[in-house]
Amino acid sequence: MVGMDIEVSEVVDFLAGQPPFSELPRAELIDLAQQMTVRYFRRGSIIIELGARNDSLYLIRSGAVDIVDGDGLLIDRNATGDTFGTLTLMREQPAPYRASAIEDTLVLMLPGARFVRLFEEHRVVADHFAPRQRGRLRRATEQMQEASSPILRLSAMDLVTRAPITAAPTVSIREAAKVMTQHRISALLLTDGELLRGIVTDRDLRSRVVVTGADVEAPISEVMTKRPVTVGPETRAFELLMVMTGRGVHHLPVVVGERVVGLVSAGDLMRLETSNPAFLVGDIGKQDDVAGIAQVVSRAPKLASQLLAQGAEADDVSAVLTAVADAATQRLIELALVELGPAPAPWCWVALGSQARRELALGSDQDHAMIVADDAPALDWHLALAERVVAGLAECGYPRCAGEAMASKWCLRLDEWKRQFGQWLSEPESEAILHSQIFFDMRAVAGEASLHVELRDVVVPMARRSTRFLGHLAAMAVRREPPIGFFRGFVVERSGDHKDQLDIKAGGLHAVIEAVRAMALAAGVTETGTASRIEGLRTLGRIGDEQAAELLDAFHFIALLRIRNHVEHTLRGERPDNFIDPDQLTPGQRRHLREAFGVIRRAQRGLEYQFQTHLMN
Amino acid sequence: MMGWLRKTPDEVRAASFRDAPAGPVSEYLGVPFPSLRSRLDEVPLLALDLETTGLDPSGDRILSIGFVPVDGREIRLGGACHLLVRSELEVGQSATIHGITDDALSTGVPLREALVRTLEALRGRALLAHYARVETEFLAAACRAEFGAEPVFTVVDTLWLGQEWLEHSLDAIPRGHLRLWSLRDRFRLPRYKAHNALTDALSCAELYLALTDELGLGTLKQAYSR
Repeated sequence: MVGMDIEVSEVVDFLAGQPPFSELPRAELIDLAQQMTVRYFRRGSIIIELGARNDSLYLIRSGAVDIVDGDGLLIDRNATGDTFGTLTLMREQPAPYRASAIEDTLVLMLPGARFVRLFEEHRVVADHFAPRQRGRLRRATEQMQEASSPILRLSAMDLVTRAPITAAPTVSIREAAKVMTQHRISALLLTDGELLRGIVTDRDLRSRVVVTGADVEAPISEVMTKRPVTVGPETRAFELLMVMTGRGVHHLPVVVGERVVGLVSAGDLMRLETSNPAFLVGDIGKQDDVAGIAQVVSRAPKLASQLLAQGAEADDVSAVLTAVADAATQRLIELALVELGPAPAPWCWVALGSQARRELALGSDQDHAMIVADDAPALDWHLALAERVVAGLAECGYPRCAGEAMASKWCLRLDEWKRQFGQWLSEPESEAILHSQIFFDMRAVAGEASLHVELRDVVVPMARRSTRFLGHLAAMAVRREPPIGFFRGFVVERSGDHKDQLDIKAGGLHAVIEAVRAMALAAGVTETGTASRIEGLRTLGRIGDEQAAELLDAFHFIALLRIRNHVEHTLRGERPDNFIDPDQLTPGQRRHLREAFGVIRRAQRGLEYQFQTHLMN
Repeated sequence: MMGWLRKTPDEVRAASFRDAPAGPVSEYLGVPFPSLRSRLDEVPLLALDLETTGLDPSGDRILSIGFVPVDGREIRLGGACHLLVRSELEVGQSATIHGITDDALSTGVPLREALVRTLEALRGRALLAHYARVETEFLAAACRAEFGAEPVFTVVDTLWLGQEWLEHSLDAIPRGHLRLWSLRDRFRLPRYKAHNALTDALSCAELYLALTDELGLGTLKQAYSR
């Protein structure tokens, strides 16, 4: 009607500023505003009573509202722009909570039927209000990764520039060498049709043919490496280098199933631009002294920030930081070996904790140990190695572990390790568990990996049977209670307390890591990484697909926020910590964090149920 | 003294209805007002605000009318209305206060139509306004001019409720504290940027909910302005 304006602009403008309404067309907002009523609730008054029926969506216009469950536990604290009442609306059940005004509060109320229509007609509204929605955190994580990362995404297949040069395993050594010379390649793949049978390299021809005086007319299969280490086409560049350093090879056939599609050499990786993580990792191996290694390692934070800027996930960045730490450890060990001479008995250097899980962040302590073969008469040599590596790592910027979980203290024979684990598992005191947890995340970094495998094969089944130990572990994981959310720039704890900063490690990341570790040990999952453990638990049917997906998404989302925070600190020349000011988070991030906290709490409830942790003290 | 003899607003309405010539004012007066004994939870009101060229009902005129119904404790945004009043006269300097330009007014409705719609919306409701004298006097003068009859109202005035509330909490009421926006601030009601008749009507309605709650008023009799 001319001259008549029924748009309540204050309300429409307000809606336009609140997600998800902000995503709706103005005409829809005008219609919504017309359907709404405004109500005022005095401080202390109840808006929705526990067990009452509710037929409206509530949107807070001003004031604050607490949502408290039947046991009096605070579930949520809402302020201007927050909504409540959807749960009872959508499930058409009595309110499982009480909503009360903790300040004088003005609310906008939308009739339930209109809300349901809105929910059905607009994807953004459904996305926002669906109580638990698969992939929402995943999308939030993706949104934080502003761009796709060409360098990080560079895969094995991207490095393959031509079809692999192959020969049959039946050709003579001389014939094989001729093919290599002709094509100017340093490695030749031996195949049956497309099936990979082996690989032979320049180095093999030197050490296995020239040095031994082998007959060059003999078939190449006699000197080739059978069942070589291979990678899939999606393997990323820096991972290739980790495989190469870890397995001591310089060439990696790329296979799809059993079909060979290409070959990647260390040289291919070295030719990548200097900003590639693979370059940094490779550079460490070239250093001849501790100072040189430290210098290369000091470039890691900058690299991490570049990767984040290019859209890397926390997983990727942590994998790179882990690869850097691994490479530094390996190179320090190599340098120490030059000084110390050959080992009197075999040993294995293992990473512990986050490095073992390949979840290293910036500023992490060094956590490692050594497993020495049982026949070692004394451990002097091994301790000397440990001392050198610990000092070297400290110089590289990895602080000595405050809890002394370092090889300089934890250098034991295999048998002693088995006894030690036996003790931890059979006499679980909460203090001991606190310190021993880290040893259940263990990964071989250098030396005789078989020593670690042997230890693991004893510990994993033993841990699985140690009900009391697992119960304690679960109880500790459950104690790491995540906050319930944010309120006007504060972190709101379950107790209702407000904190200025979010401790993203204690209340978020570690809650997931510890809960997953407890479940994994109970299920006999041998993987150490949190993501791999979740996948392992899912495969074993210990957790459902849905829970696995949401737990993984929550973990990735929190990890990304944390590593970004670390990088920002480091680039400002500050020591990275795990505290985040809620004001630095976007409203969306705060909302998603709240959702991630919810996922964690659900996992903790599951853990409580599984282990009856309330029975532990 | 003799206050108990004073007529109730509805008695005044009934008397006025008998005298009023047929027309919009008579139709409005034909519907009984809410009883003074009604609980505030059930009382229908219409929060109303007028933008005018000045404060003199005999010389100044109405530029716009904004209103929104309040049913008990709920403000019904669906009944909100904002009417710009078309006029041959220029707005003049008052545009600097209310921000309504002559261009905007040229899209408005004639005063007569605006009054008809407002009286329709007011039927059976108490008139809720902040310093309601402006609204009641301008409506009365305009209706007299257009329809030859003056409406009467049951008035609830948030200015007086605000004063009552401040008297509870302060010795002397500092200057300016009874303004709509100052009172809203005290209840931490949101700050609205716009200043138009509908926003002010809504603001007044929200303040009414806060004030009556805070004062613990139970019936219309405790809230209406005599």
